[in-house]
Amino acid sequence: MLTKLAGGRLFDPTNGRHGEVADLWLRDDRITADPGPGATPDATYDLTGKVVMAGAIDIHSHIAGGKVNLARLLMGEEHEHHRFAGSPCGCGGGSGLATPSTHTTGARYIEMGFTAAFEPAMLGSNARHAHMEMGDIPYIDTGGYLVLGSDDFLLDLIATNAGQAAINDYVAWMLTATQSLAVKVVNPGGINAFKFNARTLDLDEPGPYYGVTPRSVLTVLARAVYELGLPHPLHVHGCNLGVPGNVATTLDTIQAASGLPMHMTHIQFHSYDTEGDRKFSSGAAALAEAVNRTPTLSVDIGQVMFGQTVTASADTMAQRRTAPLAHPRKWLAMDIECDAGCGVVPFRYRDTSYVNALQWAIGLELFLLLDDPWRVFLTTDHPNGAPFTFYPELIRLLMDRDYRLAKLAEIHPDAPAHTTLGSITREYTLAEIAVMTRAAPSRILGLADRGHLAPGASADVTVYTDRPDRRAMFERPDLVFKSGRLVVRDGTLVAMAQGCTHVVRPGFDDLIERRIARHFDERLGLSLKHFRIRDEEIRHGAGPVLHPCRRREVP
Amino acid sequence: MTFHPEILCPFCGLGCGDIGIDQDDSGIAPRPSGCPQADRLFRRPMAVATDARMAGTQVPMDQAVAEAARLLGAARAPLIAGLAADVDGVLAALTLAARIGATVDHERSDALFRNLAVLRRFGWSVTTLAELRNRSDLVLVVGPDPAAAFPRLWERWVAPPPAFVPGGGRSVVFLGGEPLPETVQCLAGQIETRGMETDPQPDLATLVTRLRTALAGRGAAEDPRMAELAARLRAARYAVVVWAAGLFDGPQPDLIVEALVRLVRTVDGTTRCAGLPLSGADNLIGANQACTWRTGFPLRTGFEAGAPFHDPDRFDWRSRLRDADVTLWISAFRPEEPEFSTGGSVIMLAPPETAITAEPALFIPVGTPGIDHAGDVFRADSVVALHAGALIDRGLPSVADVIGRMLVALEQSADAREKAGC
Ligand code: SF4
Repeated sequence: MLTKLAGGRLFDPTNGRHGEVADLWLRDDRITADPGPGATPDATYDLTGKVVMAGAIDIHSHIAGGKVNLARLLMGEEHEHHRFAGSPCGCGGGSGLATPSTHTTGARYIEMGFTAAFEPAMLGSNARHAHMEMGDIPYIDTGGYLVLGSDDFLLDLIATNAGQAAINDYVAWMLTATQSLAVKVVNPGGINAFKFNARTLDLDEPGPYYGVTPRSVLTVLARAVYELGLPHPLHVHGCNLGVPGNVATTLDTIQAASGLPMHMTHIQFHSYDTEGDRKFSSGAAALAEAVNRTPTLSVDIGQVMFGQTVTASADTMAQRRTAPLAHPRKWLAMDIECDAGCGVVPFRYRDTSYVNALQWAIGLELFLLLDDPWRVFLTTDHPNGAPFTFYPELIRLLMDRDYRLAKLAEIHPDAPAHTTLGSITREYTLAEIAVMTRAAPSRILGLADRGHLAPGASADVTVYTDRPDRRAMFERPDLVFKSGRLVVRDGTLVAMAQGCTHVVRPGFDDLIERRIARHFDERLGLSLKHFRIRDEEIRHGAGPVLHPCRRREVP
Repeated sequence: MTFHPEILCPFCGLGCGDIGIDQDDSGIAPRPSGCPQADRLFRRPMAVATDARMAGTQVPMDQAVAEAARLLGAARAPLIAGLAADVDGVLAALTLAARIGATVDHERSDALFRNLAVLRRFGWSVTTLAELRNRSDLVLVVGPDPAAAFPRLWERWVAPPPAFVPGGGRSVVFLGGEPLPETVQCLAGQIETRGMETDPQPDLATLVTRLRTALAGRGAAEDPRMAELAARLRAARYAVVVWAAGLFDGPQPDLIVEALVRLVRTVDGTTRCAGLPLSGADNLIGANQACTWRTGFPLRTGFEAGAPFHDPDRFDWRSRLRDADVTLWISAFRPEEPEFSTGGSVIMLAPPETAITAEPALFIPVGTPGIDHAGDVFRADSVVALHAGALIDRGLPSVADVIGRMLVALEQSADAREKAGC
């Protein structure tokens, strides 16, 4: 099947195209070079004046696994009010907004022109479940980031001075056994400390039992990820999430990386200062400044948008702190398998609340003060800041200053004084949006054939009408192709497609397996044989897509 | 004779992965596992009838599938129940349910819904089996001994000394239930019982209320035994409250569950405490997980104009059975005849060894996950999913295979109708 997308304006930052008019050719599931004058395409689309980008990639969205399913169960009212019938193309329908069911998740993403979304908190003990769910999400590519850093095995390795090499082997072994794409650390050591009844844990505070500090967990993991040569740097959900004054911890965390690459996630939740009468103010300026001058850092925002959502996190310590604010008033918490935990707290962000209004402003401030769109990613930490379906609205806020100021005027009257948002004139360009949602995500995850439009890339393409109302533009693309197949036309599903699951497999010295096997037998009551996820378990036998790792030494 | 070591057991939901199985020409048999369920259910003959039956008469599989598709496609109020299958089988059943507008429920969902009712209105604070094993210094068992449904619970998850408890000591207190003799044997000196002093069958709700009153610091003088238990909960480092809601009898068992979650939260405010609600034989938890991720709702969900619709009372399979005109009953784990009766037609997917007294309209033999084919099942603590491998090939299809063929047959008849212009 040969498809010609004729005469659109290509926004393809990876290949240095910023709106140039050109034809784009798709052959089967790949983008292909112009086949020359003799070629007869099976289908031609006249895209004169249209905006053409690769399919968008969401690097941080809680879409699958135990905590998401628990959140669905807890959010019964939401699901009752938002039920969807299947479509003739094979989408099974489902329900939910903040915690959509699998087919609904895939449908909402692809309808917005997203062709990949990554689950950023997959617990090793729950990985098989997460993979089953990811395999049931149609249309989009997926993959999981393995949560490490509060698992008793790692803390024991650190506490017993097993050495960096052993830690690297363990990390590589776990990534392989759980079919993961990256490593995420959540409140380093804090989830474990909470199991020993510690309710807070600062960056340099030795945790209970092991006496290991969050700083050392962070540094050994950042180093392991670097030395194993994983494409994606350590994905860090830091200490003290949501606590006023936590921007100091966040700045210290940047220091702790001491030059190693690090991705700091949902930094909006980690950018709070303590100025003003309410002892809650924006720390965005200081943090943005630090990120701007540290080229080894990347961040995503975790933007808050107003309305009902639910927060789902492995950070049981933070979730227990916010549980009294639950709306509706119910929440759940879980300690999990000497591995990690999960906490689910429904939440309603109100523009009339000083704190929520400021959270909203801080997120936008960060987006606008961070000057390199290659190191900033568009996220709401779905569903924690807002459901991912708010992205078009968020893009409009970034691209349209007048609209932003109008919204700023609607929030709690005391909030604007505590942020610099009102004075920021920057508007994101289409080229910058293409960087932030396509080119940069594929680069930071090491997905060489995604996120761009050069020959050989996966034929994941989104076509928009260039509307001044950027929300309307990004909400409803004209055409979306997944792996070369037209799946969305004018915002409506027209065909089914399946994505793939992306993984890395860095290799390890299998001597580590003896120590791991003992831990599994003696502590987890499960042999390695039953823990390991085989390739044939991924996507009903299709298996994963492997991405190369390049081992390197810390200079 | 072949020996298969370290085989995963898919039956009760504890996920034991250490079963030894002997295989010879006549079939498979487990080495004694210490578990009556595994010892019974892993014993399977090699020679079985692989033909389907229509009203008791053998028919080829194609014909049975076509007839099943016809019955289900024409059904006015179809029900898919039993639902005892691996995750793929359940997902196939959900696809079919959406296609024909059936409601789905699992045979053993009663226990689950007692817990879910509380989760959905109030939330919960829970833990998993490895945390129980390694971290708990005090285990409070509420109600009847869960070992009745989870035979190796104590042996595998409580008898080993807890790794993170200094000194490794652990006590197990039964509140309002007697430990089974095997439990007493397994846990030797660690067991105590409470609440049975005056009444061998105490009212559980009252006992839990008494303990909560004691935790609130009231009534110590009148109820010193409860006051002492409350003090021990408060002094424990990591207390785990274990219950199997399926074994609660008496009215409104979900209120006991809610009281337990509240009790856990009270203790957890100052020290660590978590619940461990156990339910989950025959992949009940996997069926609920799959239903939740696919539809957004737990089991007892139907489809209304193609959109899922949940009703925990009306869509309980026992009540649905009354008006269902066609029931697809799925029971892949146990060759045991299910107990139910309906005025409608029954299509049964079950292991061929099942001795049937009331022959259904259609009987389609299927393999057992973890014996005849590989399949995923969830453990009773709902976090860990396990992939049970295939042991033998008896020519039996999986539930997912059979339903997949029904879906193809339904598609074909829909296409044919379209072509014929109806
Ligand atoms: S206790 Fe449960 S999982 Fe373990 S062997 Fe018995 S039936 Fe199987």
